[in-house]
Amino acid sequence: MKFWTVRLLSVAAAFAFAFAMQGLGSVIGDDYAYRVINVSGIFITLAVSLNLINGITGQFSIGHAAFYQVGAYVTGYMTLKMFDPGGMHPTLWLIMMMFVGAVAAGLLGLVVGLPSLRLRGDYLAIVTLGFNEIIRIISTNIPEVGGAAGFNIKPKIVEPWLIWMLAVICIALSRNLLKNAHGLTFWAVREDEVASSAMGVNNTRIKVVAFVVGSALAGAAGVLYGHFEGFLDPKVFGMQQSFIILTMVVLGGTGSITGSALAAVFLTVLPEYLRDLKDPTGNELALNGGGIIGVFAASILMIWAVKRMKTMFPVKGRNRSLAEVGAHLVPWALVPLLNAVLASTPLAANTYRVSELRMVFFALVLILVMQLRPSGVFGHHEFSWNWLKSLFSRFRKEQTA
Amino acid sequence: MGLELYLPLVAAGPDFSTLPQQLTNGLILGSIYALIALGYTMVYGVLRLINFAHGEVYMLGAYTALLVSWAFGFAPTSPGDPKASVLVLAVMLLASMVVCAAVGAVIEYLAYRPMRKQSRISALITAIGVSLLLQYGGALFLPASPPPTISGKVDPFASIATLTLSPPPADLVDAEEAARAELAARETSLEQTMEAEGVRNQFDLSPEGKEVLQAKQAAEREVNRTAGAVETGSITIKLPQNRLVILGTVVGLMAALWFLVMKTKTGRSMRAASHDFESASLMGINVNRVVSITFMIGSALAGAGAMMNATFTGTSLTTFYGLLPGVKAFVAAVLGGIGNIPGAVLGGLIMGLAEELSVWAGFSGYKDAVAFIILIVVLLFRPGGLLGSSKVEKV
Repeated sequence: MKFWTVRLLSVAAAFAFAFAMQGLGSVIGDDYAYRVINVSGIFITLAVSLNLINGITGQFSIGHAAFYQVGAYVTGYMTLKMFDPGGMHPTLWLIMMMFVGAVAAGLLGLVVGLPSLRLRGDYLAIVTLGFNEIIRIISTNIPEVGGAAGFNIKPKIVEPWLIWMLAVICIALSRNLLKNAHGLTFWAVREDEVASSAMGVNNTRIKVVAFVVGSALAGAAGVLYGHFEGFLDPKVFGMQQSFIILTMVVLGGTGSITGSALAAVFLTVLPEYLRDLKDPTGNELALNGGGIIGVFAASILMIWAVKRMKTMFPVKGRNRSLAEVGAHLVPWALVPLLNAVLASTPLAANTYRVSELRMVFFALVLILVMQLRPSGVFGHHEFSWNWLKSLFSRFRKEQTA
Repeated sequence: MGLELYLPLVAAGPDFSTLPQQLTNGLILGSIYALIALGYTMVYGVLRLINFAHGEVYMLGAYTALLVSWAFGFAPTSPGDPKASVLVLAVMLLASMVVCAAVGAVIEYLAYRPMRKQSRISALITAIGVSLLLQYGGALFLPASPPPTISGKVDPFASIATLTLSPPPADLVDAEEAARAELAARETSLEQTMEAEGVRNQFDLSPEGKEVLQAKQAAEREVNRTAGAVETGSITIKLPQNRLVILGTVVGLMAALWFLVMKTKTGRSMRAASHDFESASLMGINVNRVVSITFMIGSALAGAGAMMNATFTGTSLTTFYGLLPGVKAFVAAVLGGIGNIPGAVLGGLIMGLAEELSVWAGFSGYKDAVAFIILIVVLLFRPGGLLGSSKVEKV
């Protein structure tokens, strides 16, 4: 009976979590912040589903926004034309639409995946990117869905708990896949296609399954996004969106579910957080030209210093760990320093508000993380208590090798 | 939905008299794409890296041209009336190429070199990061709003040559001449009427005078109609002189590239590194130098393309100026077989022609998608691109 107890408890926990997130809205009170939190939930689904394709199965897909868009557009149009508020409860309709959107995106995934998965590496990447653009351009040429101007979904159906339920389902699906024998075949395809086919794995089948499941989940996320926002704009689904989802996967650690999910939250919240960052006196935070030079100088210095510490302290241990932490943090003192020192020079003629600089910081974070942790923040690891312990054990004094 | 959506298109039908013109435009557009595609393909050939920041290097090239032209007094606010000269254009071209080469080398040194030993996807994300950094960081320092354009006054090659492939039928020409003669007659009679009635404004004419005016307007419409008929009846190509300059420069640069890659020692080491990076470094080739030079050459070509496109087409510049040309040139490089230099040129030409032809056929809304459709179809049948070899990975 233990098996079923655990299962039931897990499902109950998932529902409890989802409804807790629903309830969070009234606790926070700030509509804008709550919107950002929910959008980050949608991006968790997108990143974890792309991780299934990109990280776990190793298929280089960079057109994930296409499936996201198809889910959003197909069901948005259906809600606009067919939804009858008297006939069906909106929540029930939205759940039904999630399935419709998932099937639509999954079918597209099948159509795209079957022929293109025989391509490898960069060629697969460019074909998926191409499909992304084709879908977006087609959508801007259909007057029924507003063309380039986009269209409103009426009525808006806002059910944040469904967003979080989908995120939980997506994470549970990936995690359970990795924990059973079936999931091992996905790893095998990722690690070495030739070896895995020699072991009797049907590579094409595995790839197509991963691709279709990942696309379907992205489609469902699109459904929730469309009904949550109430407005769809084709510009939102361009290749830049795909790049951002891909970035979440790689930044978190390719193949790491924890990493993808946390990076999704981080990268959604970061630009919004920077949007209205205040200094202690309550003014909007701004840098002058000197400060900008400081940011770039500190970035370069940090990369150099972190690498230098590895050679300066060849033995792992507390000294090295402390030195590395220092190398990460100390260079940033240059930013306020240069901001103040160069304030009276012509270099500092312009001031830039942090809200203007947010995309620059976003790009800089990307580059810095890739330089310092090329396999992503979590690498291949998942969150576990042991992992957390090992993180802190680095600061212990005695350590062998 | 469905059939009636496409009916107007079928009814109008593509206009074959404008086809040669569109093909010429496509060829010139394609030559610019080819120039940018060379940068992608050379870098990929040596490093197996998709340099997504290449489009942003292109953007910086266009901005360099703009700032140089401003320095020569072609800014909208600057006083005086500077004269267009070939010298200014040459300086702009050279400055764009030099600045782009420097930017390319710096990007390679700071961002890509540390990633060389890492997985390719990490390098790709770095490239995306650099591209975002240049787009948004550039907007802080470069004039972007309102989007500036390079003044048309800088261009000394403004004259337009008309090439007649097939003259219009004689009866259409006669009809046009007759209509023009009629119009001239009506104009003189209108003038006489106005003089006779002593009015200076057409609106003050008497009812009889208004009839004369209407007859003149009818004659004008007839002239327009017959002139239009002559235009569709003949096949001509309008070729602005500056388009020829673009074509000539592109051909010249490609010849120089061919010489460099095939006939010099540097070129030989580039080919060796692209063939097998590891072995090349073991054979005493300074691969770091080769990679730097490859980035510099590719970026300089993009800079040349950007300068010519921005100057001669007068499009307005933003820091996202390189996004679309960059993607299209990348598609061109993959289409021709990425890593293959003649392939990039072929791919670029195909892309330019396909884009103009889709506009000609009435699918202008889809002109950006056509590139990808061609790419996907080609890759399904030739997974390595048109001229590329699809190697089976060895175990």
